[in-house]
Amino acid sequence: MKKLIKLTVNGIQREIEVEPRQTLLEVLREDLGLTGAKKGCNQGECGACTVLLDGQAVSSCLVLAVRAHGKTVLTAEGLATDGQLHALQQAFIAHGAVQCGFCTSGMLLSAKALLDRNPHLTTREIEESIDGNICRCTGYVKIIEAISAVAQNKNS
Amino acid sequence: MSQYNVVGKGLPRVDGPEKVTGKAVFTVDVSLPGMLHGKFLRSPHPHAKILNIDTRAAEQLPGVRAVLTGREIADVRYAFVDTPRYPADEQPLAVDKVRYIGDEVAVVAAESEAIAEEALSLIKVEYEILPAVFTPEEAMQPDAPLLHENKFTGTSAWEDWGATQRVNTYETETTHRNLSGRTFITFGDVEQGLQEADYVREDCFQTAATAHCAMEPHAAVASYDPIEGKLHLWLSTMGIFLKRYNLSRALKLPISRVRVHHSYAGGAFGGKIDVFPYEFCAAYLSMKLGLPVKIELDREEVFTTTRQRHPIKIHLKTGVKKDGTIVAQDVKVIADNGGYRGSGSIVIFLCHGFSFPIYKVPHYRYEGLSVYTNNPVRGPQRGHGAPQIRFAIDSQLDLISRELGLDPVEVMLKNVRQKGDVLPNGDMLNSCGLRESIQEAAAGINWPEKRRQFSPAPAQERFRRGVGISLCAMFSGAMYYPFASAAIVKLHDDGSATLYTGAQEMGQGCYTTMAQVLAEELGIELADVHVVAGDTELTPIDIGSFLSGGALVTGNAVKLAAADARRQLLECAAELLGASVEQLQVREKKIYLKQAPERFVTYTQAIQASVFKRNGNPIIGTGSYKGYPETNRYPSLAKGKGLFTSAYGFAAQTAEVEVDTVTGQVKLLKAVTFHDCGFPLNKTIVEGQVQGCVSMGMGQALSEEIILEKGQLFNPSFLTYRLPLATDTPETIDGLVSTLEPNGPFGAKEVGEGSVAGMTAAIACAVHDATGVRVDNLPITPEKVLRALTAREKALS
Repeated sequence: MKKLIKLTVNGIQREIEVEPRQTLLEVLREDLGLTGAKKGCNQGECGACTVLLDGQAVSSCLVLAVRAHGKTVLTAEGLATDGQLHALQQAFIAHGAVQCGFCTSGMLLSAKALLDRNPHLTTREIEESIDGNICRCTGYVKIIEAISAVAQNKNS
Repeated sequence: MSQYNVVGKGLPRVDGPEKVTGKAVFTVDVSLPGMLHGKFLRSPHPHAKILNIDTRAAEQLPGVRAVLTGREIADVRYAFVDTPRYPADEQPLAVDKVRYIGDEVAVVAAESEAIAEEALSLIKVEYEILPAVFTPEEAMQPDAPLLHENKFTGTSAWEDWGATQRVNTYETETTHRNLSGRTFITFGDVEQGLQEADYVREDCFQTAATAHCAMEPHAAVASYDPIEGKLHLWLSTMGIFLKRYNLSRALKLPISRVRVHHSYAGGAFGGKIDVFPYEFCAAYLSMKLGLPVKIELDREEVFTTTRQRHPIKIHLKTGVKKDGTIVAQDVKVIADNGGYRGSGSIVIFLCHGFSFPIYKVPHYRYEGLSVYTNNPVRGPQRGHGAPQIRFAIDSQLDLISRELGLDPVEVMLKNVRQKGDVLPNGDMLNSCGLRESIQEAAAGINWPEKRRQFSPAPAQERFRRGVGISLCAMFSGAMYYPFASAAIVKLHDDGSATLYTGAQEMGQGCYTTMAQVLAEELGIELADVHVVAGDTELTPIDIGSFLSGGALVTGNAVKLAAADARRQLLECAAELLGASVEQLQVREKKIYLKQAPERFVTYTQAIQASVFKRNGNPIIGTGSYKGYPETNRYPSLAKGKGLFTSAYGFAAQTAEVEVDTVTGQVKLLKAVTFHDCGFPLNKTIVEGQVQGCVSMGMGQALSEEIILEKGQLFNPSFLTYRLPLATDTPETIDGLVSTLEPNGPFGAKEVGEGSVAGMTAAIACAVHDATGVRVDNLPITPEKVLRALTAREKALS
């Protein structure tokens, strides 16, 4: 039996009929065509499906879509505004923090959740904030550099 | 580097914007109208006969469109290796036997993944369980159960292309059972060499099976159009032309009836080059049903049923002179390739191939065996044999140095090869930065101060630190199908260009580096280049992104294509300016007279002139480059004869660790790599490759391990398979040694794989330096460190 849910995704109000068993990740990818959130493990271990739910970084493969009713969702597709990349997106490109790109959306959103909450970050805090996001390509070095650069800019 | 405008700089990636905005399309993101979903039923037994499969109930489930078993496609065989000596041994679905837990038994195509999964539970399979073997030693026993009874014939692309190779049988067939490959190579006289040595040491090392952990799960989308008679594929892969070749053969379709479309690969690390049952079955089902079919493996399937790195036992006997000069080395390697050959017969060749370019060893004997067991299948993984063999050789060289009271850095410097050396197979080292790499890596870790070996008193404190060093080498491409790369450069009216390349972007940055090569050669900016890539229909052939051939082979093809376009531009300009080509120079999309720079034509004007004066020719440059220009042969895997690669990348790596002697925990504090990649086409991308290698090498040294119990994988998830996380990141120094490889475009050669290989020995040697104990089997877990520490204390007291 399908349920009607209402939620705001990347600033747009949506009404969607979902199966009770569907995850938020499935609805984003399959019903809304927002494939920026990735299914890397589908069991909450890799972080590739990270999105912001009311500003909080969540693994969208572990959130049932019905639980997102009445909430606000931000995905990688919604990070750039007015044709301008978000500071984190710019920094990821400039610092070479993107390789295959599969973890990138989740990384960006985990970093954003952290920076929104606490702009004064130590390297250790940055590492901890993305500890739930696995990247096999970069060894994390340039990702940490990119997030640090944005944090420093915010502080200055 | 300053003589260049575009190459050598750390310019931002051309695929960056697409990837940070979530718009980049990976194979898992491809969705077609009416698309069905496929799921596999897999063997729960490591070794069993299939007596009967009943699919009737599954077929009747609403939403199920097809249930396929091996009987229907019993004649289909394929494999990564398919040669007269090593015929293909894989089938998309088991026909009469399963050989490992996870082996594909049946596949269902249904309207949703959920329906397909429900259908799997309705399939009834009757098995007769057979005795199974889980180590090469058991498998090689004369009375061991045989995994592959049937003898097949194989033909490689060489035979397809008319170059018949002599058919050989296994030389050791009668002595060992379940052998999937044997490599035997000698030069000099190893027995005599060992006698000439002042000191001989024998050791045994062991490495673990490890997982690639590409973040995008393996997936394929196939769409066959019966009216067009053409199969359209989206594959998460590393080489679209090799995939097209292998799949067209397996599906018995003409190669022109198969098109691989572009999609980004979300990481590969060697694990996405074999042909897989999910690819064949998606294609076959789509052809059968006339509808698109997608098969996406879940993470447990990726861990269990795709590929792993070979666990290898290495027996090493080395003789040296008192001063550490290596005289003789006797190497025996046994690789467990699991239920199918995978790349077993290749890895035992590559363990030699990545070992002999480093040290001069006058007397050498190498024997490699790859063996079938009822474990999961093993295939190429970043470095492919290098991490295993480098772990053994440099761990032992460290032990020898300690025994003789020598500094391993000095011993390495004494033994390493150099530029100008000709390897025993005929390969030339036209560039070799080993010596500089060693010196820089040692300096970078503060070797003389940090090395405990030279401290007067042994450390007693709980947390102990030490340093270690290791070296590595890697090919820059080899003669593997399609044996070459080609490129097309199309100029536009405004002087910008489109690059058509068959290279596949999987994270290594080839779209960017190839665009830089084009831009530099043509005298335009990176922003002026648009890349069309990764599509077998739109682009010319490409050697593929494996064996690290991208920079050198494809890079040369792109450079030649750009040079061709530039030549045409200059010829038009020369005509317009009434001068000869030699009198011209190029800057900012303008062509000047050297002597009178006020006289120039723009690229736009030259292109227009070409269209008008040369019968509409809009200027299209083409270029191609062979995998190894001096040979038409693939080297012999069994005998190590023939040319391997036209350039070797080298690296030296040092590590500083801190060992907690109470818990056995090892922390990598600092990793220093100096990689000789010839010339960095893009500095940021090269650094990123090295950093990724260092991280993977650290994981495989300290924590990564596929845990199997009677063929059953115990840790098929990221929670239980412990790969490095952000908080594990060590201080990383990655430097480059510029040697300008004469065969490479702008001097570039390999960078993407080698640096994974030195980390394991560097860390193992650092642990020894810190604590005095040696762990000779990977990974170096806290349990092993504690066990070794306890054993040593007992021995001392």
